[in-house]
Amino acid sequence: MKPTVHRSFARCRRMAGLALLCVLPGWARAAELHLPAAVEAGQAFSVHVEGSGEASFYLFGPDHVVKRTVSLGSDLQIQSSDVRTAGRYQAILCDSSCTAAMFDVKAAQPAHLSFFLHPSRVPVSSPGSIDATAFVFDQYFNLVLTPAAVEFRVTPASGTGFSREVSTRSGVASMRMDSTPHEGRVQVTAVLGKVEEARVIQQVAAEACGLRMKAVASGSLVTLETDPVRDCSGNALPEGTVISFTKIDESGKSTVDTPIKKGVARVQFSVHGRAQISVACGVVLGNEVALNGKL
Amino acid sequence: MKSVPDITRALEKASGQLSEAGFVKAAAFAIVACALAIAQSSPQIHSPQATLPEVHLDADGLTPRPIEQLTGTTIARHYALAWRDLAGALESSRTEGLSEEFIGFAKDRFMQRIGEQKQTGVHVRIVDHGHRLKAVFYSTDGTAMQLLDEAQLEIETFDGNKLIDTQSAPREYMVLMTPGADRWYIRDLEEVPAKSF
Repeated sequence: MKPTVHRSFARCRRMAGLALLCVLPGWARAAELHLPAAVEAGQAFSVHVEGSGEASFYLFGPDHVVKRTVSLGSDLQIQSSDVRTAGRYQAILCDSSCTAAMFDVKAAQPAHLSFFLHPSRVPVSSPGSIDATAFVFDQYFNLVLTPAAVEFRVTPASGTGFSREVSTRSGVASMRMDSTPHEGRVQVTAVLGKVEEARVIQQVAAEACGLRMKAVASGSLVTLETDPVRDCSGNALPEGTVISFTKIDESGKSTVDTPIKKGVARVQFSVHGRAQISVACGVVLGNEVALNGKL
Repeated sequence: MKSVPDITRALEKASGQLSEAGFVKAAAFAIVACALAIAQSSPQIHSPQATLPEVHLDADGLTPRPIEQLTGTTIARHYALAWRDLAGALESSRTEGLSEEFIGFAKDRFMQRIGEQKQTGVHVRIVDHGHRLKAVFYSTDGTAMQLLDEAQLEIETFDGNKLIDTQSAPREYMVLMTPGADRWYIRDLEEVPAKSF
């Protein structure tokens, strides 16, 4: 063999050696994971993993852990059941060394409403007395953090209904409203797309208004009876609401509490001499009756 | 680590003329030392007395209902207890402590996660450097509070005893808490991308 051929062969060997040195670190480098930044809950997807040979793949989610052996250089399938819960996920791929990547799983489309209406009974015509709060969840019960418009439809037993639209903030829509002037059942329905959730509250009469009584004497006894007890909107106070009658005469002061029956309250006193009788319902005072002893 | 016979031989050599009683004492000392060394090298499981992480609650401007001071104190305490229990459960892959502070979806999800950790032989160690909680919603009837947590956590992931990943970036969580008979429970705890709110 000629010396020039020897030299060329040696040069080739050196170059091949250098090339190998350049390539080797690449072989030793960990397989890389290229994951999407965010996916929707319950959506399967695949990721191409570079390299050759086998590696251990780990997936850590809020409610799920996956560990399996995967072939590098192929597509890695992430099943829909692996990513049903919203939150941050960590994927780790280990061959000669480990590489990790994070991705977010976002809630899917709204599918459920968790709806609270407070309180269950409320006096009529009370400003800001009714609170409606709706939490928006997807089909996997992940809170939907992207803004969505929830419509609250208010349907009173009598009178016209109305609706109000509220945008969710961090998955929550909240509304405060006044009670309507008429007693009875009020239905509030939270609506988001095809999802509806209804709740019912009972509006009851407010405080008594224009409380009046009349006295009917019979011997030493006097019978006191109120007019039908109503609030300022004309709603009858519930049966059983306590009405207080207070009498002051020569024998002293006495009070009788009696419940409303069939819309009115009735009581009978024995009176000695001059007397003054008053009526009240809670903090509301009614009229007074003065008796001069001539019963 | 040296074996017990190695250590006892070394002690014999050092003392030269150990009496039989002295040798027994020295061997016992060596065994105790080894046991302590093994105990220190094994993974630590959080005991109920483990230190609580720091939790700072900011409830300024909370709507639609302001927070009472006692409620704020209770929430911060139970949130800290919840993270202590969660870290312990994720490290030990045991679910016993989770029912104390978690309820509903949060409890179900962590129970499932820890069950699957146990099956696959992986676990997570959390070094908790504290939480800044910001209350963002408190329902008028007092039945739900939504909070945002900026947590400083170091999370080490293990397969068996092999450390496969370490993460130490700040994390944000969306939290839903509801009151129980004597405490506030975490009903939902979801990690969200940083600066989501």
